[in-house]
Amino acid sequence: MELKPDFNRFLAAVRHKEADRVPLGEILVDYSIQGRFLGRTVTSDDLAGQVEFWAKAGYDYVPITVSMMSPGKVTEESRITRVLKEMVLREKPGTTDPKAWNLEFTSFIHERSDLDKFPWEAAADIDFSQLHAVKDLLPAGMKVIAVSGKIFTLTWMLMGFNNFALKLVLDEPLVAEVFERVASIQFKALEAIFSMDHVAGVWVVDDVAFGTGPMISPSAFKKHVFSWYKKVGDRCHDNNRIFLMHSDGDLSTLLDDLIAMGLDVIQPIDPSCMDIAKVKKQWGDRICLVGNVSNELLRSASTAEIAARVRELLRDVAPGGGFALGSGNSVPNWAKFENYMAMRETCLKEGSYPIRR
Amino acid sequence: MGDHLETIKNAVIGGKHGEIKSMVQSAISAGLDPDTVINEALIPAMDVVGKDFASGKIFVPEMLVSAVTMKAGVDILKPLLAGGQSQSRGTVIMATVKGDLHDIGKNLVTMMLEGAGFKVIDLGVDLSVEKLIDQVKATRPDILGLSALLTTTMPEIQNVIRELKAQGLRDKVKVMVGGAPVDRRFAEKIGADGYGANAAEAVQLARRFVGDKA
Repeated sequence: MELKPDFNRFLAAVRHKEADRVPLGEILVDYSIQGRFLGRTVTSDDLAGQVEFWAKAGYDYVPITVSMMSPGKVTEESRITRVLKEMVLREKPGTTDPKAWNLEFTSFIHERSDLDKFPWEAAADIDFSQLHAVKDLLPAGMKVIAVSGKIFTLTWMLMGFNNFALKLVLDEPLVAEVFERVASIQFKALEAIFSMDHVAGVWVVDDVAFGTGPMISPSAFKKHVFSWYKKVGDRCHDNNRIFLMHSDGDLSTLLDDLIAMGLDVIQPIDPSCMDIAKVKKQWGDRICLVGNVSNELLRSASTAEIAARVRELLRDVAPGGGFALGSGNSVPNWAKFENYMAMRETCLKEGSYPIRR
Repeated sequence: MGDHLETIKNAVIGGKHGEIKSMVQSAISAGLDPDTVINEALIPAMDVVGKDFASGKIFVPEMLVSAVTMKAGVDILKPLLAGGQSQSRGTVIMATVKGDLHDIGKNLVTMMLEGAGFKVIDLGVDLSVEKLIDQVKATRPDILGLSALLTTTMPEIQNVIRELKAQGLRDKVKVMVGGAPVDRRFAEKIGADGYGANAAEAVQLARRFVGDKA
């Protein structure tokens, strides 16, 4: 079956309409899975391979990460890492452990005096080259969603989680200032993103909850995080783009606020702690849901069990639009390939609108 | 006397980090025994904090501030206790298993356990089975707390329990487990002694293990 990407299909779901079929939705599919699907190696630099995978596998967009200090992309070669290495070696000569200058392992802003020592200019050095380069590779109908705009996680990573949490109570102005500096960099990136017509939306990947509930109080989220995301949402909508978010954890007490800040799409409705059918009933007319075949199922279930779960989701969540089907987080390298295939194939075969109940 | 204890307890619950030292010093000046301050004000305060956290009334930042407030109080009292040492409720080794670099949950449990009067040896993240076994042999803890955030690293918890059995250490230490993908069923399946869904539950579990009925 040849699948033709059509971003209007995904957009219809976002607008709570039924297109020809339920769209597929993921924020990330591991390159090993992409490679196995195509029958050849796909790497992070192989943009053509990535576009080919997302189009042939049945998706209507390709996600491209373009963000400040993207976790997983902070490498030894990154400018921020080089600058931090110089800083660390200046302050602690003889340091040899590379984790000492890697933002994913070490926090740098503990006190107010650290704020101006941090190399913000280097942190703001965002590479847009893949986002530009992908334009000429897109098949007709396919768009790009920029994975960008993370604010909460970057702020606590810069401060270290314990220190961030303590300072949120004991030195709130310092935390507010780190939020502002991170947000300012992310906003600047948005301007560049919106200048590209092939980019149809911004997908913020920012975990704001544990399995038991919000990581900080809903009021602190509103004051320090969602106020910034409201501005991201406004800018997306002013520029005719959609605003999507990924967060793990139980979002039940945050969803009203997330919707109020202008979020169009929430993914993945963490299946370990939320029931997507209940979420659909309570919030489904106000926000589009993407998900949520659990990753544990993708790892350990049979293909028949995967197909059964997809049918449940099609029956309970797909009617009326406002839904795209995908994993319960992302598709990691440890997902069984046959289960990933069963998930998408069941949706493609049985997800035509109107859904037969 | 009771006023001092109530004031200290409320200060910990409310995270009055800047005021706790003078409050504790006032209580001692008024003739209160350091053990009484710990057992009747500081530890009961953290019980309230744990319950408030478990019920969603407060969140991680507020809980952490209460924990450091309590610690500031304990630091004043420690030199005044007999032998200069607070009598701990028991010793706990905390660690995230091999392959897992996530430590938010483990750190929360660590702080809550310290707040509840346990001596905690935090071994950090990415701990191999061998290193964990060596530490259990060296420190003979009452409890071993193991955390995993990833589905892929969960089996490491089972490997640690297997090795404890192989080395004849299993009946000498209670094993409690936690982390996002871990649940009670998994804990039972791998032969752990208990599972904590959150930091407050972990503390309750630890207290049960050392025979504390509170």
